[in-house]
Amino acid sequence: MQKLMGVATAVLLTTTLVACSDDASGGRSGGNVDEVTIGALHPLTGSLAGVGTMMSNAAKMAVHDLNEDGGIECLDGAQLRLETGDSKGTASTGQSEAQRLIDNGAVALVGTYQSDVTQNVAAVAERSGVPLVIDVAVDDAILEQGYQNTFRIQPDATSMGTDGGQALFEIAQQNGQPIDRVSYIHLEGAFGQSVFDAFAAEAKSAGVEVSETTYSPTNFTDATTVVRQAAAKNPDVILVTGYYPDSLLIAQAVHQLNPEIDALYGIANGAFDNTSFPADAGNAATGVLSANYHFDATDERVQDIRQRFEEQYGQPMETAAVLTYQAAVVIEQALEDACTDAPAEVRDAIAAAKIEDPLLAFDGPIVFDETGQNKNATVIAMQVQNGQVEQVSPEQFKTSDIVYPVK
Amino acid sequence: MSDHATAVSETSASEAIIRRAAPYRLPAGVVAAVVVGLVLTYTLGGRDPGLVTQSVVTGLLLGGVYALVSIGLTLIFGVLGVVNFGHGAMLSMSMFIVYWMTTSLGLPVYLATVVAVPLMMGFGMLVQRGLLNKLTLEGNHEGPLLVTLGLSLLIINVLLMIFGGRPLSVPSSVEGSLRVFGAIASYERMIAFGGALLVALLLTLALKKTSLGMSIRAVSANSQGAQLVGVNVGRIYALTFGIGSACVAVAGGLLAPFLSLTPTVGEEFTILAFVIVVLGGLGSVVGAMVGGVVIGLVQTVGALYLPGTGSLILVFAVFVLVLLFRPQGIFGANR
Repeated sequence: MQKLMGVATAVLLTTTLVACSDDASGGRSGGNVDEVTIGALHPLTGSLAGVGTMMSNAAKMAVHDLNEDGGIECLDGAQLRLETGDSKGTASTGQSEAQRLIDNGAVALVGTYQSDVTQNVAAVAERSGVPLVIDVAVDDAILEQGYQNTFRIQPDATSMGTDGGQALFEIAQQNGQPIDRVSYIHLEGAFGQSVFDAFAAEAKSAGVEVSETTYSPTNFTDATTVVRQAAAKNPDVILVTGYYPDSLLIAQAVHQLNPEIDALYGIANGAFDNTSFPADAGNAATGVLSANYHFDATDERVQDIRQRFEEQYGQPMETAAVLTYQAAVVIEQALEDACTDAPAEVRDAIAAAKIEDPLLAFDGPIVFDETGQNKNATVIAMQVQNGQVEQVSPEQFKTSDIVYPVK
Repeated sequence: MSDHATAVSETSASEAIIRRAAPYRLPAGVVAAVVVGLVLTYTLGGRDPGLVTQSVVTGLLLGGVYALVSIGLTLIFGVLGVVNFGHGAMLSMSMFIVYWMTTSLGLPVYLATVVAVPLMMGFGMLVQRGLLNKLTLEGNHEGPLLVTLGLSLLIINVLLMIFGGRPLSVPSSVEGSLRVFGAIASYERMIAFGGALLVALLLTLALKKTSLGMSIRAVSANSQGAQLVGVNVGRIYALTFGIGSACVAVAGGLLAPFLSLTPTVGEEFTILAFVIVVLGGLGSVVGAMVGGVVIGLVQTVGALYLPGTGSLILVFAVFVLVLLFRPQGIFGANR
C-alpha cells in the first residue's frame, strides 16, 4: 500500500512538473502567438518608490504605445503584455521577483534602477536565459561578470566620470576660464567612488588638481560642513555626485556659503538635472551645471511622450523613465527582428540590434558591445537657467547657451 | 562638645551639598568633556579654525534637530516603556500634514505646524487608546513594539499612496542665513533649534509643575502605585502618547522647510533618536536635549577627521560607551 502511495505521488508530481513546464514554455513557443510578456522590475515601495513607480509607469505607457502601433507585426500583430514587479529596493526581493516574472512567462526583463538589485537580477536572467535590458543602474561591475543576457542603455559610472570631466574642461577652456583646481564632493560607496575615480584620472591627464570630500547619504541632513571643507581648498569648480536629497542640500549650502567658484557642477548627479530641482532649490539652483545622460529635449517624439506622460500620471517624466520607455522599445524591436518570442533568439536580436534615433541624447544609435554596454551612451551638459533645466552642450543637443563662469 | 557638634554639622552640610550636587556631576562632566574636546580640536586638531567653527555651529543646530525628534520619543519610551517604532513614520506624517496645509491651504509653514500639533496629539491618543493601552496596561513589551512597527508600515505606505514617493519640498517662509563668527547658520535651522529649546522647557515645566505632569511622573515611576492612589493610568498613557506625538508634530513642522519630503524621511532619524534617548536617559527631556546636541557635535566635528560613515561610527562608539559605563544615561535615575 505504501509503495503504491509512493508511486502515485511520484506520478502526480511528475505530471505537475510537466504541466508546469508546459505552461511556462507555452507562451514562448514561437509561431502563432497573440501575446508576448515583458517583465518590468522596479522599487515600487520603500524609499525609492517615487522614481520606481515613475519608471514602472513609463514601461506601461511604452507597452500601450507599441500595442497601439500595431503590436509585433512579424508575429501577426501579437500584443505586448506587461507584468510588473516590486523589488522593494532590496536585492533579495528583486531576485525573487525577477524569478516570478520569468516564471510567469516574461521573455525579457526591464529594470531595475539600483546597481545592487540589478546585479542579482542579472544573475537570474543569465541562469534562466532571459535577456535583461537595464534602464538605469550605473555600476561598471554589473557587466563585468561576462553575462550574455544583460544589456545596458545608459553609460556606466566610469564613462560618466570621464566624459563629465572632459565636458567640464572643454566648457571652461572655451569660455576662457581654464581650471587649475577642483573640489569633488561625492557620496560613499561604489557609485560615487567609481564616478570620482574616473573623473580623477581624466583630471590628472588634463593637469587639474583634485581634492576629494566624501559623505554618507544616511543621516545626511546638513551639507554646510561638507561644502565648507570642499570650499576651503579654493577650487575653481565644486563637483558633486550624489542622490537627490543630499545634492539638493549641497546646492543650498553652496548658495549660502557663496564661495569664489566659477561653477557648481554635477556628474551623474541625481538632482541637478531633475525637473523638480529648480523649484525645490530656488535661487540655489541658478546656473548649476550637470553632466549626465539625459532625454533628448530637442527631439519631437520625446517631447510628445513626455507631454502625454505628464498628462496621464500627473508628474514630469524624468530621464530614468525615458530610459525605461527606451528599454521597452529595444525589446519590441528585438522581438520584431527575431520574429519569435523565444528568449534566446530575442537575446541574440538585442545583441545585434541597432536602434536609430534613440530617445536619449546619445552620440549615435543604440548598439551593444560584447559586454552588453551601449557603445554610444554618453553624457551631455545641462544648466539651470530661469527655473528650467536647459541642455547647453554639445552643439547638436543645445536648447540654450551656456553661462560660464556662473556669477 | 560644642566644637565637636559644629564640626559634625559642618561635615553633614558639605556632604549634603555634595549629595545635592551629585546628580549634576555627570551632566557637568559631559559638558566639560564636550568643551575640552572642542578646545583640543581648535588647538591641536590641525584643521582650519573657520572650518571647525562651521562644524561646531552646524553640529549644534543639527543637535537641536535631533533633540526635537528625540523629545517625544523619550517621553513615550520613559513613561510607557513602549519602544515606538512608529516614531519615524509619525515624523514623516506630520511633515506631510504640514506640507499639505502649506501647499493646499496656503498656510505659512510655521502656522501649519501649530495647527498640526493638536492633530497629531489626537492621533497619538487614538493610537494609544485604540491599539496600545490594552497591551501596555498588561505590561506586555513585545506587543506594542510589533504594533508600532506595523503602524509605521501602514503610515509610510498610506503616505506613499497619497503623495507618491517623489521628493517634495515645503515652500519656506524665512530663507537666508546668519553669519556667526564666519560660520553660516540658516534661519530655518535656528528656528528649529529654538523650537527644540522651547519644547524642552515647556515640557519640563509641565512635568514638574502641573498635576498632569505629576500624574505622568507617578505613572512612570510606578504605575501600580499611581493606580492605587487614584490615577487613571489608561488615560495618562493616552495623554503621554498624545503629548509625545505633539512633540513629533513640532519636530515635523520645523524640519519640513529644509528636508526633502519622502514617506521614509522620518525613518532617517529613528535610530539616532533611540541613541539619543538612551544617552540622555529614558524619559528625561533635558537628557534628550543634551544628548541631541552631543550627538550632533560628535557627528559633524567627527566628520572633519572621519568623513562619511566614519562620523556615524563615532556616534555609535559613544553609544556603546554609555551602555557600558552608564546604562541609565546621563540624566537617567539610578534604578
